Amino acid sequence: MSQVKRVVIAAVCAALGIVLPMAFHSIPNAGATWLPMHIPVMISGLVAGPAAGAATGVLAPVLSSVLTGMPAAPILPAMTCELLVYGLVSGLLARVVRTGRESVDLYVSLVGAMLAGRVANGLLQALVFSAGSYSLPVWLTASFVTGITGIVLQLAVVVPIVVSLERAGLVPPRYPDAA
Amino acid sequence: MRAPAGYVWADSPLHRMPAAPKLCGLVACVALVVLASTPVELGVVAAGVAALVAASRVGWRAAGRAAWGMRWFLALVLALNALLFSEVDPLLALGPLHLTVAGLAQGGRVVARTLLVVVLGSLLTATTRPQELVDGVRALLSPLARVGAPVDAAALAVGVTVQFVPTLLRESHQLMRAQALRCGAVASRGIMRRAVSYVRLLVPIFVSAMRRADELSVAMEARGYRLSPPRGAARAGEKETRP
Repeated sequence: MSQVKRVVIAAVCAALGIVLPMAFHSIPNAGATWLPMHIPVMISGLVAGPAAGAATGVLAPVLSSVLTGMPAAPILPAMTCELLVYGLVSGLLARVVRTGRESVDLYVSLVGAMLAGRVANGLLQALVFSAGSYSLPVWLTASFVTGITGIVLQLAVVVPIVVSLERAGLVPPRYPDAA
Repeated sequence: MRAPAGYVWADSPLHRMPAAPKLCGLVACVALVVLASTPVELGVVAAGVAALVAASRVGWRAAGRAAWGMRWFLALVLALNALLFSEVDPLLALGPLHLTVAGLAQGGRVVARTLLVVVLGSLLTATTRPQELVDGVRALLSPLARVGAPVDAAALAVGVTVQFVPTLLRESHQLMRAQALRCGAVASRGIMRRAVSYVRLLVPIFVSAMRRADELSVAMEARGYRLSPPRGAARAGEKETRP
């Protein structure tokens, strides 16, 4: 994939990271429970690599905050760092993990990125953004309880979307010989 | 869903100002909004933002369109803060919910800050063309090019993102209308069914967006667009041409 296409995919995923939360905001508290911004960030990493994923992870929350006011400025730095890790790790794992089965590769990369992002967010909250007032129960609740709907949604839709994009010929297949 | 304000034709000092200082001004204004906590401070910042809207000549409706689209969300934020922020001296108590003056004040602060940031963002997009925005980002990031940062790629990404938001909103609306024709109106259903109907749209929205990304990148490369490499790569002898 050319560098121009990687940048364009990162930008289009960032635009989706602005548009999808706008739809979900008509549902009360949907941002924290459905986590709509996470989906395009991880897809960007899985199909276009770690740099594109990281770029989407930075662009989506920052531009969304500027254009729509969400996420609110006080939570923007922590959320940007978390999304950056999602995009970066999903791209790195997608590049490294090669089991021979596409869906296994993608699920390993996706779950690894979901865990890495939450761990990074917890560490940053405990050490930087909420130092002294952040605890393990708060992290567990915020990361795995409040967003359980979003976690299920990501596990249900991210891999099928990536496979759909490959089958439509819009991104290169992971295993061209198997196609 | 309501789109953030697009470019509004007008002749004003804000329209004539280059994008780079406008972006710096936006960051400074957002910082002031976040730092303002008392009603007087918020009032002064709100007056400043109102003066900017008047000076921009884009109209109050265009400046407030995105904020109006968030009215129900902001009402929910106000209600949650009013009922959950504090339990001291409640005006009204109902189980775990306590309506307090401190909660109302906190909710008002959060809503006011969010509204002001949204209006400032709308002012930026209403007075700056997307290409000017790209040039502004490139100008602001240009010092980083000396240490090898991919400034052209970053500017391109910002420009494509900003230009794609209204396009993807339009396509999402079309897909939602098509779904409504097949399965009935989404908005009239309960919260859960509405969320599930949005989820069903995710695959077509992504495929449609990626098709556009594919077409755009092919068109750019066919016209000879190449991203200039970072300094390190350039020194290593890679030959690339700039657009």
